[in-house]
Amino acid sequence: MDVPAVPAHSEAVLHVSGLRKSYGGLEALRGVDLDVGAGEVVALLGPNGAGKTTLISIVCGLRRADAGTVEVDGLDALARTAQVRGRIGLAAQDTGVYPVVSVRHNLTLFGQLAGLERRALRTRIEEVAQALDITDLLDRLAGSLSGGQKRRVHTAIALLHRPRLLLLDEATTGADVETRARILDLVRRTAAEGSAVLYSTHYLAEVESLGSRVVILDRGRVIADGDARELVAAHAVPVVELSFAGDVPPALWDGRIGEDGRRIRIPTRDPAATLAELLPQIAGQQLTSVEILHPSLEAVYLALTGRRYDEADSEPTRENVSGVAAT
Amino acid sequence: MSLRRSSAILRHEMRVMFTDPSTAIFVIIMPLLMVALMKQLFANTLAQEGLTGTNGSEFAVPGMAVSFAAFSVGYAGFSFFRDHGWGTWDRLRASPATSVDLIVGKVLPTVAVTVVQLGVLFALGGPLFGLTITGSVVGLVLLIVVLALALSAFGMLVTALARTMNQLNAIGSVGGMAMAMMGGSFVPVSAMPGWAQTLAPALPTYWAMRGFRTLILENGTVADVLVPVLMLVGFGALFTAVAAARFRFEDTKVYWG
Repeated sequence: MDVPAVPAHSEAVLHVSGLRKSYGGLEALRGVDLDVGAGEVVALLGPNGAGKTTLISIVCGLRRADAGTVEVDGLDALARTAQVRGRIGLAAQDTGVYPVVSVRHNLTLFGQLAGLERRALRTRIEEVAQALDITDLLDRLAGSLSGGQKRRVHTAIALLHRPRLLLLDEATTGADVETRARILDLVRRTAAEGSAVLYSTHYLAEVESLGSRVVILDRGRVIADGDARELVAAHAVPVVELSFAGDVPPALWDGRIGEDGRRIRIPTRDPAATLAELLPQIAGQQLTSVEILHPSLEAVYLALTGRRYDEADSEPTRENVSGVAAT
Repeated sequence: MSLRRSSAILRHEMRVMFTDPSTAIFVIIMPLLMVALMKQLFANTLAQEGLTGTNGSEFAVPGMAVSFAAFSVGYAGFSFFRDHGWGTWDRLRASPATSVDLIVGKVLPTVAVTVVQLGVLFALGGPLFGLTITGSVVGLVLLIVVLALALSAFGMLVTALARTMNQLNAIGSVGGMAMAMMGGSFVPVSAMPGWAQTLAPALPTYWAMRGFRTLILENGTVADVLVPVLMLVGFGALFTAVAAARFRFEDTKVYWG
């Protein structure tokens, strides 16, 4: 399948080329190429098991690649991991905070490890806390926080040292609405300040609301790479969906897509004209609803893979079965 | 290695450790209780060896100190498993801290606790049980430090081999206790069966007990405990080398289950 071409970013903070990784006989990544530029947000979209976490883990040095190259700020991230880690901020999929010490202490520890000096660290903690609305929580034990609050602290840790590359892996999983909004807002602001952001998610709606460039990963391969709106425009068209109380009138079928006997979906570039054409044909029928489904990334995924996105979770890998996260 | 990063981890580990000091207190109070219970028994044992003028504390204090220090070897690994359980392990690994920073920062607090544990027992041995250390105090401190290092290195080896917290507990506590007993800290080596006497020098606890005995009962100097000290250093180096060869930072460790 051809991947839509995206012009190379002028200043790629992250450059991934031909990246491969297998777990036993299962190929998690099958030659992934990806660039993320300074000031750019790239949404890494894919169902569970697509390879998102494996890709991020390799970029930040948590896993070893079988083949391929990863460069961060021009440095070989596979060979100079210690040097590269100082330029990366990672918020992994699973929340990682020390529950028995305060939020401030959590932030202080990781700020110190990132090399921040005492005064700069104190200031930065206040800034990040404000951005994520956790200022009032700073002196509370991290273990006493709600899931959403912990998620914000977890994200704050990744931002302390103003990383050149911010890696957020399923950053909003299990987060409440407010936390999700805060994190998405922060993603935009972090990019606006010049960082490159790779934002892995399996939520289509989130990617659409970010309005960023999208890289769709499916079964270890990049199947699409481009601006979300352009991908939608290139691969998906609006759909007129008609639902009837009884069976769809036979005259309407005409080779069109029907989900069941009572509903029909008609892809069309001009929904208004299509409806105007159809309405006389269904006069007298018990129509229960008429909907115009706007083109979305879900339609892009369907067009590129032939599978609906919500049905696309990969088979559990051997690593998943044995309890090791490897998606 | 970065001194700043490893000391940041060390301070953090100490802070986490003292959020629940019960374990540290337990490993100090329990041996004191054991000494009180077993002192008379050891007085008889020492008398049988022909050592007159002793009250039993000369064996009971170092014996229980070494036993409980060995029993605690698993604590060196606990912080690694705990970080896996809290999801902070990958976070640490993704930070600029190197593997050496992580190990130094995580293991040194255990070394410090073991030094304090042993030091407190020997310090209280006099006022509570009438223990008299006739030999070199410098030698005693040296022996305590190298024993703590050797046992913590053994703890790291167990951590490298164990995949689950249960394995760490089992190997650490049972293995540590066996090492203490076989090394002669529960029963004098001379009272052990022949095969156990042959095996005993292969254990660090044997050399620790031999050194303490030299200092307490034989008026030993630093030079007199040089062999036990060097043997403990050797054990520490051996355990560290094997642990380093076996430790996989990317391995998943199971906190519970």
